[in-house]
Amino acid sequence: MKKALILLGCPESPSQTPLAIYAAYQLELKGLQVTVAGTPSALKMLEISDPNKQYLKHKTDIESCLDTLEEETYDILLGFAHNDAAVSYFITFYHILQVPAISVVFARDPVLLQELEKEVTETTKARIVSARAYHNPTPLKVRLDQAINELVI
Amino acid sequence: MSFCLETYLQKSDDYNILISRAGFKQCAQLIEENSREIVYVNPGEKILGARIIGIPPIPIGLNEKKGTIILPYTKPCYGTAAVEIPVEPEEMEKIKAAARK
Repeated sequence: MKKALILLGCPESPSQTPLAIYAAYQLELKGLQVTVAGTPSALKMLEISDPNKQYLKHKTDIESCLDTLEEETYDILLGFAHNDAAVSYFITFYHILQVPAISVVFARDPVLLQELEKEVTETTKARIVSARAYHNPTPLKVRLDQAINELVI
Repeated sequence: MSFCLETYLQKSDDYNILISRAGFKQCAQLIEENSREIVYVNPGEKILGARIIGIPPIPIGLNEKKGTIILPYTKPCYGTAAVEIPVEPEEMEKIKAAARK
């Protein structure tokens, strides 16, 4: 079974948690085993949102995941990139894994959004799913659906 | 067990934080401006046994005279810091060997 890694950033943005659960569900429908890596607080938000582990069966701390990560440990990388640190983490995971990737780039500020997109575009070949978003995850969900549908696994 | 900068900073007092809670590029620029010698490494490269996080090319400042390095240190909720820490000469050589060609 092929494996996908969903990489979470700081959970400061309200859109991240619902989109992570949604992405995990969609990737599982594609036949992938999904693991989510995040900070303890980001993972706690997921645990409370999915108490029966209906959508998120495998979770790991972002630091220990990075420590043990090697090329092709996972087959797909999907990462949230909504601030400078999240972009740095996504690019780092991408360069270690060397696998097809989707970067979910979002910000409330259009200038910041453009900067984050530029960083990811210049340093990776990841498919970028981007939108101005903060509270409302719908624009990103629509674009994410398309990107996951087009994933070649 | 790999080196943990966070643990090191908690247990030591021989480090210098040049900037904290900043953007990666700001830290990279500060490292370049404050280092006698600079090597560039790829994201995920192991420096002092821990994977370095950042946007390539990632600068590591070296000061052989002082026996210190300056490296970027990123945490998901706190942004990036540039930290100067002492290292053994053999670690300095390992960092040079890990540099992008």
